[in-house]
Amino acid sequence: MKGSFWLAWRQQRVSAGIGAAALVVAAAIAAYYRSGMLDALHSGLFDHCATGPLYCTRSDTGLPLLLDIEPLKYLGALNIALPVVIGVFWGAPLLGRDRELGTHRMVLAQGVSPGQWFISRFALAAAITTILSGLAAGVFAWWWRPAADRSYGLFWYDNTALSGSGPRVVAAALFGLAAGTLLGLLARRVLAAMGLTLLVTGVLTLLLEWTHWARLLVPPHTYVSAGSIPKPPMGEKWSAGNYGLITATGRHDDVLNCPYPSGAQLKECMAAHGYVARFYEANPAGDYWTFQWIDTAVLGGLAALLTVVTVLLLRRRV
Amino acid sequence: MTGPDASVALCARGLGFQYRRRGGRALQDCEFTVPGGRITALVGRNGAGKSTLLHLAGGLLRPGSGQLRVLGAVPGTSEARARVALLTQDKPLYPRFTVADTLLMGEKLNSSWDRTTAERIVREGDIPFHARIGELSPGRRTRVALALALGKRPELLLLDEPLADLDPVARGEIMAGLMAEAAERGINIVLSSHVLPELEEICDWVLVLQDGRIKLSEDVEDLRQSHAVLIGAADQAGTLAGQHTVVQSRTSGRQLTALIRRHGPLRGDWHVERPRLEDVLIGYLQPGEPGHPAPAERTKAAA
Repeated sequence: MKGSFWLAWRQQRVSAGIGAAALVVAAAIAAYYRSGMLDALHSGLFDHCATGPLYCTRSDTGLPLLLDIEPLKYLGALNIALPVVIGVFWGAPLLGRDRELGTHRMVLAQGVSPGQWFISRFALAAAITTILSGLAAGVFAWWWRPAADRSYGLFWYDNTALSGSGPRVVAAALFGLAAGTLLGLLARRVLAAMGLTLLVTGVLTLLLEWTHWARLLVPPHTYVSAGSIPKPPMGEKWSAGNYGLITATGRHDDVLNCPYPSGAQLKECMAAHGYVARFYEANPAGDYWTFQWIDTAVLGGLAALLTVVTVLLLRRRV
Repeated sequence: MTGPDASVALCARGLGFQYRRRGGRALQDCEFTVPGGRITALVGRNGAGKSTLLHLAGGLLRPGSGQLRVLGAVPGTSEARARVALLTQDKPLYPRFTVADTLLMGEKLNSSWDRTTAERIVREGDIPFHARIGELSPGRRTRVALALALGKRPELLLLDEPLADLDPVARGEIMAGLMAEAAERGINIVLSSHVLPELEEICDWVLVLQDGRIKLSEDVEDLRQSHAVLIGAADQAGTLAGQHTVVQSRTSGRQLTALIRRHGPLRGDWHVERPRLEDVLIGYLQPGEPGHPAPAERTKAAA
């Protein structure tokens, strides 16, 4: 078994090195921009800015005040793309390269069983993937914290923050690895396996982004305010874009039936239509973790499932 | 674990195998026993199932039906893996590894490893240890693959067309080295080859496969003793039928040439020749019905 791990490391050390180097570069960039961000925050320029989604403006010129968070978003985007990158370049060749060259026959003709051959390389790849993706998510979190949930920073519901941070990044990376590994076992050519992996991991990544956008897995909370009193402030909540009015019988109607923000007109209109309350739908900031854990469960479950399928097929395909 | 037939190199009972993709039976109802201490030639035409049989013995494939034992062990078990080495036809090696890396891999992957032998085989081919496998000529790659197979100190060495891509000189050298190794250590060798004349000098057992079935599993000397090439008038062909087994016969004009397996004394007027192993093997490999010579097939089978 030690020998199989030696071989697995010998074959994956270049990928591991590239991954580690990319992480070091990302961390260096993060450290540079984060210190710039902290300097800006300490300058006192942002002290008067309230929390909430409205832009904070400069008191002298009236221009919007923003932190430089573009590089942070790039890191988030990279984290979102991690399952695709790891699946294509690490997962697909993991078994696929050996099968294409026929070298698994040479390895199996030495003192290695198919089980050892698979476990050693997959376990090593999974461990490195977990460490690298965990650190990438950690770098993002560390960089993001000072700018988190501020109008001049990055809100939790931004794609790059919601999908580019936290435990879901690790689960997604493992999913990419498992998908690539299975496709590498199924396809005859590494290149074909890479293409299929690109497709599968890409589609699933976009699908999960869509479930976030559609609030499919984490339904928004409905915030109701009686009569025409001011609605609770949106603050850090992620609006679902759904506003409206409620009748005495509890029917929800579109906000356009009484399109007035407040005041006498609103009161009149509500009385005329028999509306007794107003509502809007949004996900509170705490839902960040609900999104995270659901994604982690879905991606982790898929990774486990694909790994089981790989193990079951191993006997027939190798 | 040493079973009752531990001294038997290879033993099959009702062995069958079918590839899912290709369809058709690659091996069917194979029954044979190769005793220990032999150098066995596995002979058959292209597609007869030689590689399939060797892959089954090496544990790379699992039998569809029946059973196969190598040195009394089930192929693919850790016991069999430690004692059996297989060199497949394509001799796959990692192209980006250096020769030294490849030998180091053999050392790491096997429980026992004979570094001296492995390095000697490589050195005898004048192969630099720092060269990458991908840059070596096919012949040198074969040598490295052979070093990898012999380095694990196998008790049974399975070689699938091992020398096909080597020049005659290198072939002779490697074969001689292999035979010396086998004699010294008492290694059982099963090798498949199309080069029939070479087999005569090195093998003492033959396995003949035809269309997935075993046609022959016999000691070479016995085989040559029991067979005869007869030349005589065509009209006495009838004296052979019934008593002897006519393996192959050919009529040209009024003359009949026949390869027979003798059972008892010969009747009739025949010029009797003792066949070479090659003649016997070609007789068995040719599917032609008696009286239908197929010279083209014949040269193909011998090539």
